[in-house]
Amino acid sequence: MNILVCLKQILDPEVPVRDFAIDGSGLQADPNCANQMTNIFCENALETALQLKDAHGGKITVLSFGPDSVKDSLRKGLAMKANEAFMVLNNTGHQPDSAATAKVLAKAIGKMEPFDLVLTGREAGDWGAGQTGGLLAEELGLPYSAFVDEIEPEGEDRLILRQQTDSGWNKISAPKPVVASITNSDHNLPRIPKTRDIILANRKPLTSWSLEEVGISEDELAAEQQKARIKLLSIPEGKSDCEFIEGDSLEDKIDNLAERIVAIARSV
Amino acid sequence: MNPSEATREVLWNISNGWIMYVLLVPTMAIASYGVWIRYKSWKQGLPADGRLDQPMRRLKYLWNHALLQRRNLRQKYAGIFHAMIFWGFIALTIATIVVMIDHDFGVPIMRGAFYLYFQSLFVDLLGLIALIGVVMAGYRRWKSKPEKLVYTDEASWIIIIFAVLMVTGYLLEGWRIVATNDPWGAWSPVGYTTGALFAPFFNIETLEVFHVLFWWFHLILAFGFIAWAPFTKMLHPLTSALNIYASNLEPVGGSLKSIDFDTAEIFGVNDLKQFTWKDLLDLDACTECGRCTDACPANTVGKDLSPRDIILDLRGWLHKGSNGEVGLIGSTDALQSDRLFECTSCAACVEACPVSIEQLPKIVDMRRFQVMEEAEFPETMQGAVNSIEERQHPYSGSQFSRADWVKELDIPHASEAEGAEVLVWAGCGASLVERNQNSIRSLAKLLKKAGVKFSVLGREEKCTGDVARRIGNEFLFESLAKENINTFKKHKVKKIVTACPHCFNTFRNEYPEFGADFETYHHSEFLGGLLKEGRLKITEASERRIALHDPCYLSRHNGMTDEPRELLNNVSKSPITELPRNRKNSFCCGGGGGMSFVDEPSDKRVNHERAKEILATEADTVAVGCPFCTTMMEDGINANKGDRKIEVKELAELLNEAIPDE
Repeated sequence: MNILVCLKQILDPEVPVRDFAIDGSGLQADPNCANQMTNIFCENALETALQLKDAHGGKITVLSFGPDSVKDSLRKGLAMKANEAFMVLNNTGHQPDSAATAKVLAKAIGKMEPFDLVLTGREAGDWGAGQTGGLLAEELGLPYSAFVDEIEPEGEDRLILRQQTDSGWNKISAPKPVVASITNSDHNLPRIPKTRDIILANRKPLTSWSLEEVGISEDELAAEQQKARIKLLSIPEGKSDCEFIEGDSLEDKIDNLAERIVAIARSV
Repeated sequence: MNPSEATREVLWNISNGWIMYVLLVPTMAIASYGVWIRYKSWKQGLPADGRLDQPMRRLKYLWNHALLQRRNLRQKYAGIFHAMIFWGFIALTIATIVVMIDHDFGVPIMRGAFYLYFQSLFVDLLGLIALIGVVMAGYRRWKSKPEKLVYTDEASWIIIIFAVLMVTGYLLEGWRIVATNDPWGAWSPVGYTTGALFAPFFNIETLEVFHVLFWWFHLILAFGFIAWAPFTKMLHPLTSALNIYASNLEPVGGSLKSIDFDTAEIFGVNDLKQFTWKDLLDLDACTECGRCTDACPANTVGKDLSPRDIILDLRGWLHKGSNGEVGLIGSTDALQSDRLFECTSCAACVEACPVSIEQLPKIVDMRRFQVMEEAEFPETMQGAVNSIEERQHPYSGSQFSRADWVKELDIPHASEAEGAEVLVWAGCGASLVERNQNSIRSLAKLLKKAGVKFSVLGREEKCTGDVARRIGNEFLFESLAKENINTFKKHKVKKIVTACPHCFNTFRNEYPEFGADFETYHHSEFLGGLLKEGRLKITEASERRIALHDPCYLSRHNGMTDEPRELLNNVSKSPITELPRNRKNSFCCGGGGGMSFVDEPSDKRVNHERAKEILATEADTVAVGCPFCTTMMEDGINANKGDRKIEVKELAELLNEAIPDE
């Protein structure tokens, strides 16, 4: 089976609050305020693909759209034992939204050999939109299932996708090729790459395409971005007040506290 | 009776003494074969650099720890009886050589005063001391039965044979004295007394018969023992001495080997052949005494890790020839992977070993295999390693940035600090853990009070790699070391002060191999220097009763036990409270070797064990000199103190308190 896993590189979601910064445009996070790392749900997707490959054979390709630093994410993917890596270089300095990303990924996929299964993460730890998988399926004209945590082959031509729901899960039978966005579960915790594989990952093929090479111009990309625009991004100001509730006895204090809470609740 | 002619007849009452020489041939052949197969097994190891250099220093080490039994005597009962047996046998061996020189080589040295004082009196008494030692050993093995001993038939037989050899030796001596009416007999008081016990009951002819029979019995037993010894732990007089000679002469903190990632076929060790010859010699040097496991903090709190059993199980494989296809890790109970990851890398085992066995590097070697070849190690440690890879610090989830502690202190960054005397290296443990930010701030304030010009690296700091290296990710350690060294070179850093003994150890002992060319000081050392120079003056000594907890990476790993004491000397009006386990014998806080990032089972926590030891003193303050220790001891003390008023303070905090702002 031929599997493609899309990896998104994001700003460390654990960036300490006081380090987090917005760049000069006021529209996006400052990419230098923390380290870049692979989105965890994308790693869950890769782990799901690796388990499928371990059990049933096949080939895994990782693909990313982003600045030059996405090579680190792709190398890590190769170290986890993906076979090949591709990237579309984004040197516009702008962070694309889900629709633009889906468009670029679909163009890149069009240049590659056909896949049986295309995986994305459920959502990314930066914006959390959770749109790219579905939009990508739309661009590719393929069936799609979201919130999948387990995939099994069903005969030669179909796959069974287990989809998490609020009350349990659905098992969906889908024809290949299919797009799925992967959520995390106990059994797709991303593996730690072995050091030997980290070293060998540097010798595996990594192809980098420009936007032009996949057939989309910077203007087209910018036009795509116009569909949903960010007007302003700001960091909420944290405010805290401390007030001591007095009282002669414990009961007194409790009464005063209750009164105070009611007063505050009314004023909000 | 002319004392200058005093001697005795060698081979008295023995006809066909030549048989002894004939028997000596197979005896020596078997013994030599035994030594040779052991030697061959060590030779399969990899080269070990610098283990045979500096012969004078090594001979001195051998003198102290083999001949004078210094390390061995640190333990009272076992140390003393071992020294008694050891010295007794040395004397007996010398006496045998004297007989050989006199009788076989025909050099008449067994004469006169030398015969009387040494060969008779001294050797006779030393033999008794050895016999008493053997009895003490027997008492321990069969009566008091400490848990840490390994109970084998072999060990029992060794004691029995020793006892029989010594007793028959005295019987032979006694009977000869009586039968020959030896005029110098009283110079061998033990033998003389033994003879006197028999004289009233047996006539001379009977004693002569006893003598012949027992002489041959004694001889055959002794020769048999010599032939057997190399196949038992009684090879240790040879292997332990060799091992002490080949000791690591550098600080323990620098004893981990690097890996050449371009050429290494395997990262870490899962097969005996991946150890060095010194590692393999270590295995045969082990006398099974159990002091390492006794000292091990993980073992003390009830975990399964046992450094002694690791050594013995590895030796088991060495003696079987190999560990075959299976691999060492997981092949026995002691070699289970999860046990290897219970180690805090405190090196108490290494320090406790009387024969210089290095357990810690072997544990790290096997951890390396698990981490780099198998990627199988505790999840919490994986989290720490992952975080170091992604964020260059192990504190995933920290809400602090490396630059936070510097705020409001107005300290220049290394890039803009012309003429700064030193660079203050905070390290992850101080900058990213809120509690420890006060420690590093105290250090900065002290340096300002002393007028020291210093700079910091802020966000340019990356983990030194200590945690990664101890967990077993040597690859990550090496890349961090190179990156940090580049940063230091870029800013022309020549002198570093750090309050973290782990960073300190890594910089001082491990970075030079990767091209570091700067000096490193632990703050206890540096601040102590400022006190001595008078640049800092204590003006407000407190009333605190301070118990000092020695950090492993300062005391054991680097032999620095005076520095924190000198620093604390005048901080309080009361003298320092010494803990029962102090200085190089200190007990780990439980936070080293990546264990800070592991949730220990609540009933098996190393820091609680140490906290209880501290709470048993009258102290109201625990002085610590390490960010890991600060966190671990604070947790341990708070969980165990009840209503007691006692707090954990970093060395710099205590000193800063005693030197108020002007």
